[in-house]
Formats: sequence, structure tokens, C-alpha cells
Amino acid sequence: MSRLRELQCGIGRAILGKDEASIIEAITGDGLDPSARLNVYRNHYSASLGEALKATFPVVCRLVDPKFFAYAASEFIKASPPRQVCLFEYGEDFPDFLAGFPACASLAYLPDVARLEWLINAALHSPAQDPLEAGDLAHLDSADYPGLIFALQPSLRLIESVWPIDRIWHLNRPGAADESTIDLAAGGCRLEIRQLGEDVIFRGLEASDFALRAALTSGRTLEAAIGAALALNPEFDSAHGLRRLFAEGLVVGFTLAPSRQPAQE
Amino acid sequence: MNLHTKVVPHPMPAKAGIGLRAPHMAEIMARRPEVGWLEVHAENYMGHGPAFRALERLRANYPLSLHGVGLSLGGADGIDDAHLARLKRLADCLEPFLISEHLSWSDVDGVYLNDLMPLPYTEETLELVVQHVDLVQARLGRRILIENPSAYLRFRHSQIPEAEFLANLTMRTGCGLLCDVNNIYVSARNLAFDPLAYLATLPAAAIGEFHLAGHQVNQLGEGVMLVDDHASAVAEAVWTLHGEALRRFGRRPTLIEWDSQLPALALLTAEAEKADHLATQLTLETGDVQAA
Repeated sequence: MSRLRELQCGIGRAILGKDEASIIEAITGDGLDPSARLNVYRNHYSASLGEALKATFPVVCRLVDPKFFAYAASEFIKASPPRQVCLFEYGEDFPDFLAGFPACASLAYLPDVARLEWLINAALHSPAQDPLEAGDLAHLDSADYPGLIFALQPSLRLIESVWPIDRIWHLNRPGAADESTIDLAAGGCRLEIRQLGEDVIFRGLEASDFALRAALTSGRTLEAAIGAALALNPEFDSAHGLRRLFAEGLVVGFTLAPSRQPAQE
Repeated sequence: MNLHTKVVPHPMPAKAGIGLRAPHMAEIMARRPEVGWLEVHAENYMGHGPAFRALERLRANYPLSLHGVGLSLGGADGIDDAHLARLKRLADCLEPFLISEHLSWSDVDGVYLNDLMPLPYTEETLELVVQHVDLVQARLGRRILIENPSAYLRFRHSQIPEAEFLANLTMRTGCGLLCDVNNIYVSARNLAFDPLAYLATLPAAAIGEFHLAGHQVNQLGEGVMLVDDHASAVAEAVWTLHGEALRRFGRRPTLIEWDSQLPALALLTAEAEKADHLATQLTLETGDVQAA
């Protein structure tokens, strides 16, 4: 290992785990304790990541109070140091961490609220693509429709929860002043999150619509997606569901499932 | 939806710029304040979402500078190819008039330390940073500026003074320098070196940009530690040092950085005006006509 790499590994250990034994001798004091000099970097590491998590999960922060949030965030940072350069990509596993964090076990809905906030963050940092119109499929043979695989807007995200996380989010979002209470027994929700113009919005979907969109976002064929919707609601109007996808500008591309592709000439 | 109109890259701006931070975005879009240019942290726009699209619109009105914080040019583990590709894509979209990065490292063993970590200034480090700057400039197809970091510690086996290290780096790679005056002041106080001697060692022709920012003064036991937190106005002593830099190097694109405890936009633009005023005053005094 090069001397530089050895040093950087040692600094990494000192920042992440406070184990500075291997590198402290390499740092000059110049009138101060070398360990205090390292602390400037240690403090910046935990404080800046804590701030980043707070910015991504403001509703969770409000639900648990900022002091507890700072504690949970610092434990998370120890357990999952960032592996991505862009800070907005840090924190994807924070909801799972909260789900297993004994100190907030009494707030059973918290991990799902955190998942919703993560998806809002992910939608906010996704590109928008030019949508297709239904007419763009006109050249296809109708026999090909079942095998269509749609590419949907990159910002589109879906989440299903047994908790009313939409109401919890609205009442606790930054700046919300509504003091009404939420009946946790009122039931869950199925939400669609996406960019609309320059904002990110979310809204509730019916079970069958949710199933259709969930199947399409996971890359299943149109036939399979409609099947999933019909399984939940035999009355599901698939033509209408499909038209809405186009009307809402969600379809940005399509391919044919390999087994459905016409043979090459 | 997305505008793909090509905007001719702006010439060197004549007025000081400001670091554009998300909370000011809406006001800048609405008011278009009279600042010379805008600089953004490249990493914040790599998702190509609404903030990126706002930047695409702003670049029609302002020259734009991309300031990277995550390339880890001094990282022994090498440059993250995927990250460099994202930077290249961003630069291709936004056509900034400047691209800059830092003389530092930030990741080891796949963990990103989210900071500009200090390097020992040795021949080994110089070789590595030269390789990395060459690689980045080749990939971006243009010259980049390298910023002197704020330092809180020094390594015992560091042999080359930082300013000399930077001068060597510019000679070996053809890169330019982003002279962060606040960082020089902070490091000089923390590591007890002479900031004027530091300025005298930097190659004037390589200086492509100045940074100015606020710092915090912390009592630490018997000593004092200055922290480059970008959370306040530029300190008086840093304005004084900036005056020395202007006398020595002449006028260059100058940026006010303010990252936390953000002030009202008007206060930020007032700092930029102060930088312009100082530059005009000093360049008149010294008869420097190579104003940018």
C-alpha cells in the first residue's frame, strides 16, 4: 500500500471510528493538541451529514423532535457512512434504520413517513423527459399492445402504507400549522409521487390504478399490468387507465417484450 | 420542455459573483439581481431535476461557474469514473465559463467523508494529483482551476509548502488556480505561516478566480482555531489580505461564498459590491489595466 493510501485509511478510521492511534503521530501539534485538530474534520463530518438528513427528512424530524432526530441521525451515520458523492443521494436506508431503531419503536408509522420523504427527495432529483402521446403508438399493430413495456417519467415513485402517511405528512410538513389530530386507525394509503412542473406532488390512487402503475414501473408488460389491476378490481377500465397515463404525461418511451418482438426480416 | 438552445458561453465577467444556494434560487429567478456571475456546487445539480432546469434558465442571464467538491483529486483510491462522467455531462449542458475543484481528498475504501480532507505535500502526492488533474482536464476537454483548501492540521512528513505545491501543479498540468483568500487566512492562522509569503509564491498568471467568505474564530484550549464555515460576512482581516492579492495579481473573477446561516440576498449582493469597490480602488491605484 502506498504511504498516502495508508495515511488516508488511517484518517478515515479516525473520522469514522475515532480510532486515531495509527495516524496521530503523523500530525504536528503546532501549539494545539493534534487530536483537537482532527476533531474539526470529525465534527464537520457528523454535523454536515446530520444537516443533510434533516433537510431530506424534515417531517420525521418534526415528528420525533429535533434533538431525538439528531441522535437517531448520528447513530445512522455511524451505521451507514455515505458511499455516494452527491449528498442528495445519502439516506436511502435511513427509513429501514428507523424501523429497526429501538428508541422509536413506539412510532410504528415513522419508517413509512421516512420512506415517503425519501421518495419525494428522489423525485426532486430526477430528470423530466418529454412525454409521449397516445398517437405515438398508432403505428403499432394492436396485437403488439399486450407486450408493450412502458418507460415512465423518471420522477414517478409509488408507495403503499398501512398508515395514513399522506395525512401525517401534510399536518407535519415544514410550515404546517394545522393542529388537527390524525386517527391512526383510519387506514393506510397508496400514493403516487412525481414531478409536476417544477414541484414534486403526491396523491392517493385507487388500488387498481396503483397496481397498474406499480407493475409498469417495475418493467412488466401492459398485459401483466392490466392483469394486476383487474385482479384487484374486475370492473377496472383498462382503456381509461391507459389514457390517463398518457394524459398525465407519464409515458416517455416503450419497447416490446422480447417474446413479442416481431421476427427480424 | 427542456430548452436545448445553445447559449454562447459568457466572456469573463467584470463584476463579482455570488455562490448560488437553493434557498435563494426563487428570489434570483424572480428578481435577477445585478451580480456579475453565479457559482454552484456541481454535485447539487447532478440529479438534473427542477433545480438543474432553473440553472439552465439562469445561465441565459448570468455567466455560470461549476465548483466541484467531490472529485477527490488527492485520493489515493483514484478518481471515481462515474462521478467524473456526471461532471462532464453537467458541464456539457451548462457550458460554465469556469470549472474548479480542490486540492484535497474525500473518499477512502468507498466511504465518502463529505469534506475537503488535507493532504501531505510530498513528491508522491504531487505525482498523484498531477495524474488526476491531467485525467480530469483531458476528460472535460478544458482547463480547470484548483482551489487551496482551508487547513486545520499539517502532516509531519509534508515537505513542500502548499503554495509551492500549487505552483508546481500548475506548471505540470497547465491547470489554473482558484485563490481562496479566506482559506489562506484561515490556514495561515491555524498552521502559523505567513499569508503574504504564501501569496508571493503563487504564480500570478495561473490565478483564474478569487473566493471570499466568512470564518469562525474558536477558542481551543490555550490556542485559537479558525474554521472556514462560510456562515458570516467576510472578515476585515480577509478583506485586507484580499487587497494584497489584488495588488499582486490584479483583478480576477471574484466570488462571495456563503453556505450556512444564509443572509438575505441583498446582504450577499452587498458583499459582492464591496469586492467590486475594493478591486476598482486598488486596480486604479496600481494602474493595473488588465482588469478582467
